[in-house]
Amino acid sequence: MKVSLKWLNEYTEVPADLKAFCDRLDLTGTGVEGVETLGATFEHVVTAQVVAKEPHPDSDHMWVCQVDVGKWNIGENGECEPLQIVCGAQNFNAGDHIVTALVGAELPGDIRIKKSKLRGVVSHGMNCSERELGLGGDNEGIMILPEDAPVGMAFAEYAQLTDRVLDLEITPNRPDCLSMVGMAREVGAMYQQAFTDPLAEAAAKLPSVTAEDAAPVTDTVSIAVEDPERCARYTARVIENVKVGPSPDWLAERVTAAGSRPINNVVDVTNYILFLYGQPLHAFDHDALASEDGTVSIIVRPAHEGEKLTTLDGEERSLIPDMTVIATPERSVALAGVMGGLETEVTDATKTVLLETATFSRAHTSRTSRNLGLISESSLRYERGVDDVPIDEISQAAAALLAEVSGGSVRPGMVEVYDHRTTPVALTFRIPRFNEFVGADIPRDFIVDILVRLGCEVSDGADGDTLSVVAPTFRPDLEREVDLYEEVLRLWGMDRIPSTLPAGRERIGVRSHEELTRAKLNHTLRASGLNETMTYSFAAPDDIVRLRMDPESLGMAVELLNPMNADQSIMRQSIIPGLLKSVAYNQSHGVKNVQLYEMGTVFSTSEGRKNPKERTKVAGVLAGAMGDAAWNASPVRFDFFDGKGVLESIARELALPKVRFRVLEAADAPHLQPGRAAEMLSGGTVIGWVGELHPLAVDAFEATAPVVAFELDLNALDKATQPARPYVDVPVFPSVDVDQAFVVDEEVTHEKLCQVMSSAGGKLLEDVRLFDVYRNDERVGAHKKSMAYALTYRAPDRTLTSEEVEKAHERLVKKVCGATGASVRE
Amino acid sequence: MAVTDELTALAAETLQRIDAAQSTAALDEVRVAVVGKQGSLTGYLRNMGSVPKEERAAVGKAVNQAREQVEAALEARKAALKASELDAAIEGAAVDITLPGRGQQMGTRHLINAMIDEVSELFLGLGYSVAEGTEVETDYYNFTALNAPADHPSRSMQDTFYVRDMSGDVAEVQGESDVLLRTQTSGVQVHVMEDQELPIYIIAPGKVYRRDVADPSHLPQFHQVEGLVVDRGITFGDLKGTLELVCKQIFGPDRKTRFRAHYFPFTEPSAEVDVSCGICHGEGCRMCKGTGWLELLGCGMVDSNVLKMSGIDPEEYSGFAFGMGLERMACLKYNVPDLRMLLEGDMRFLRQF
Repeated sequence: MKVSLKWLNEYTEVPADLKAFCDRLDLTGTGVEGVETLGATFEHVVTAQVVAKEPHPDSDHMWVCQVDVGKWNIGENGECEPLQIVCGAQNFNAGDHIVTALVGAELPGDIRIKKSKLRGVVSHGMNCSERELGLGGDNEGIMILPEDAPVGMAFAEYAQLTDRVLDLEITPNRPDCLSMVGMAREVGAMYQQAFTDPLAEAAAKLPSVTAEDAAPVTDTVSIAVEDPERCARYTARVIENVKVGPSPDWLAERVTAAGSRPINNVVDVTNYILFLYGQPLHAFDHDALASEDGTVSIIVRPAHEGEKLTTLDGEERSLIPDMTVIATPERSVALAGVMGGLETEVTDATKTVLLETATFSRAHTSRTSRNLGLISESSLRYERGVDDVPIDEISQAAAALLAEVSGGSVRPGMVEVYDHRTTPVALTFRIPRFNEFVGADIPRDFIVDILVRLGCEVSDGADGDTLSVVAPTFRPDLEREVDLYEEVLRLWGMDRIPSTLPAGRERIGVRSHEELTRAKLNHTLRASGLNETMTYSFAAPDDIVRLRMDPESLGMAVELLNPMNADQSIMRQSIIPGLLKSVAYNQSHGVKNVQLYEMGTVFSTSEGRKNPKERTKVAGVLAGAMGDAAWNASPVRFDFFDGKGVLESIARELALPKVRFRVLEAADAPHLQPGRAAEMLSGGTVIGWVGELHPLAVDAFEATAPVVAFELDLNALDKATQPARPYVDVPVFPSVDVDQAFVVDEEVTHEKLCQVMSSAGGKLLEDVRLFDVYRNDERVGAHKKSMAYALTYRAPDRTLTSEEVEKAHERLVKKVCGATGASVRE
Repeated sequence: MAVTDELTALAAETLQRIDAAQSTAALDEVRVAVVGKQGSLTGYLRNMGSVPKEERAAVGKAVNQAREQVEAALEARKAALKASELDAAIEGAAVDITLPGRGQQMGTRHLINAMIDEVSELFLGLGYSVAEGTEVETDYYNFTALNAPADHPSRSMQDTFYVRDMSGDVAEVQGESDVLLRTQTSGVQVHVMEDQELPIYIIAPGKVYRRDVADPSHLPQFHQVEGLVVDRGITFGDLKGTLELVCKQIFGPDRKTRFRAHYFPFTEPSAEVDVSCGICHGEGCRMCKGTGWLELLGCGMVDSNVLKMSGIDPEEYSGFAFGMGLERMACLKYNVPDLRMLLEGDMRFLRQF
């Protein structure tokens, strides 16, 4: 909403200090988004005062003056200093307040003020006459200002030649503030100062422009409203013999200041009234509406399905029954509350105007506007609520003004359908409860004064502590007692409310199980050297296919109806594509070592579901190595085991029971490189997967392989995690350590060997640690490997004898060889 | 020469050799040669049997004397040599301590989650718990139950992403849907009021979505922390005090806050909170667009309609709610010039925090 301060000042006094005014507006709920300056600016022309006046040494009619221009001339000592100006006028004395054009000023008639010498005396400017400023008057002498005129103020500001226009953010609950009158009332309340509503006076002008002898409007115009829910009040007046043409200057200036473009006197009046009172109007060309007998039948009805209407902007619109049209019996002529029709618009040839002043349903206007993508000054106001009560008076004021500026005359009377009048809301204001609610002690007098200034009727309530308040119909937001609280609080000033904290009660802040799991997980991942990141929740529809994941396995993707772009048109089903894009981003920017993880939501849906399924996943990617080679470190390139190591750390930290890794075959995980892919399980629950991404998948995201990745399900982790591992006695008896290498076929897994050792070793075998894997075609044999284990034997209750250990170990070796085909490597 | 004289000479000679030994190894050689199993002094003891009976006592005494002398000297010399050898070893082991250490890379927390942690800790300390909600919501929880019924103009304050509704329901306005990406974490308020016992003291951090083109100051997905308190006797002053405390904790004790009246459908009265600009300290600069203030969060007293819709009597209970944008807070705190950096995953950015 653009508010001209010059215009506003006609209804309430605008404070002189613009910055303080803007702050006050901001603090009371009207955001100031910008300030624009309109009109003559008179740069470098300032108010001044003559401090000394001496005759010019070489002239009999000129004077050498010292003129105080305030801050516009600062001397070497940093203080304001008077300027020397040579002046030929005779009508002033030392001490007079004048207007001075400084060096650099440009005056009407292309006069530029420069530093000059007049008969040898330097002059730093010019004392101005009214004519020199383009303000008319004679040229007898310079302009003398009143004695109380300030010194050193920009003249345009002093003379209020400049208009400032504030761009205000009006919140959706305040339709009244989408008008000059509403803003003036608001400013009046903000400063507890007088406010004048111009409506009654403007409406009173109607009789003077009414053609009393013309036929009453009701004789020839009829209105039918088919669905009163869509249109509570519809009125029409007719103005005859209009001469459509340019608006007078004052009108064009107002409409321009409000942010509209002057079009012609008729349209400008409708816009002026809209900006002034917040009531949208529509002017039809009466004759374009009339049937052959000259009568007009207006029908307000739902549009027919697919009905076509070309609106004022030249667009042909296809309508649906949820939209309301203004129609004649033959055709629709306007889109109710949103925009008029092109066919019946006012043109230069228009002789008679039919003026619609009406109110339309908020919801229908909002939907129509959204369905057509068409927002107008009218729709903006109707969807927030236009007061039906003052329509008659506004229509009078509008018709009177229209007749006045177009030279026409108003036909007597008004046609109207008024189905339901808004009843004002009566409320009780409990003063003690209000003060308890805000935590302050705001006096009754202030409360009453503010409510009255905002347009409420206030009287004493049932007891001394309450007020009876009737809210004005132009404030649909004042429905409940608490709505009045807000009004008083914001105008009292929120900053004046003492700050407190909620009283202490029996409450403690606690973390949930899932939060604790997440925290542990985050710590573990960071301790493993991974950096947390965030990627878009949006995804491209082909991300999953590019990653070579099986789309079937992930359910149906969640589709956005209005995505920002095609690459972000669905919600992600895996975090990996986002992370892979980040890997590519880093690699293309010269960062070779990438260790990233993200914890976030993935989405899927299915036929018949409203809300999609959301699951929290934790995913990571590793590319390059953990760091660059250093004098004492030579990092190894990431491979499968770095990813698996992270998962093993997670398993340990979360105390996951019975964790094992299972080979993922190519068919089950096509996005992973076969042979370097595993599934992590805890008991029977699948926790997630880990592996090296398939080189083709990495390639599809323009990253460089190898990229190790994992994706785990947070919910599965949270369910599997144990609060704490059970205590195990710290050993008191010594252990016996035996190193043992087995040569086995490549197919024999570490897991298999461990299983056999563990079952064969029995209670005495405490620990098995693989310390070497060795391959050598000659020494070990082709297609074979040597697996070297450090075995720890211990009994909890005694020191083992060497015979016991030998016996146990022999049995173990025998079983391993028997079960796996291993041979012992000496 | 009498045996005792021999012993005296041996002892004297041995003490000399001990003194002359320059290493523990050389010293050990002396020890072995003199008092070892085959040592010269040990030999006298072994040969005591061949010493005439009458001399045995004197010789025995002399041997023992010599032995004690030698052993004491060995002990002393050994300690001295060990000390000097340790000194030498330590001196030789000195390193250039300015060489880089042998560390393990620690990962980093994402800036936004670090902010969430900071805010969460603060509110846990104030006795709040953390609640969560889904990122896809129905129209009811995102708008209607928050006092913004269908076609309410406040809905256009946020540009909403709509999700295809698979249930078969059709929206009245083309291109809209009953299912959407939440535009605010405020919906969590409603779930909490429906599901939890009173009083309620919660915060709800989470991701939200609005249809803004990604640019240095906007992202189509960002994070909010919602706060909700419902209890007996909660005042606007409590809201003010709580948020002032939070701002000072996060931005420092010298920063001021101000409350501007505003409008949100789900709070009444409503306010926006600004924090004084940390660059110009309120004088006005480019960062704060000359106002001296930076917009931080929205808040207000929970609207009585919202309480009623969740079955809470607004005559008995009151409450406050607030929602702060974390990207904004992070930017204000760390002067991040471009919000898009938060989603790029650039290691050089992430590892700064």
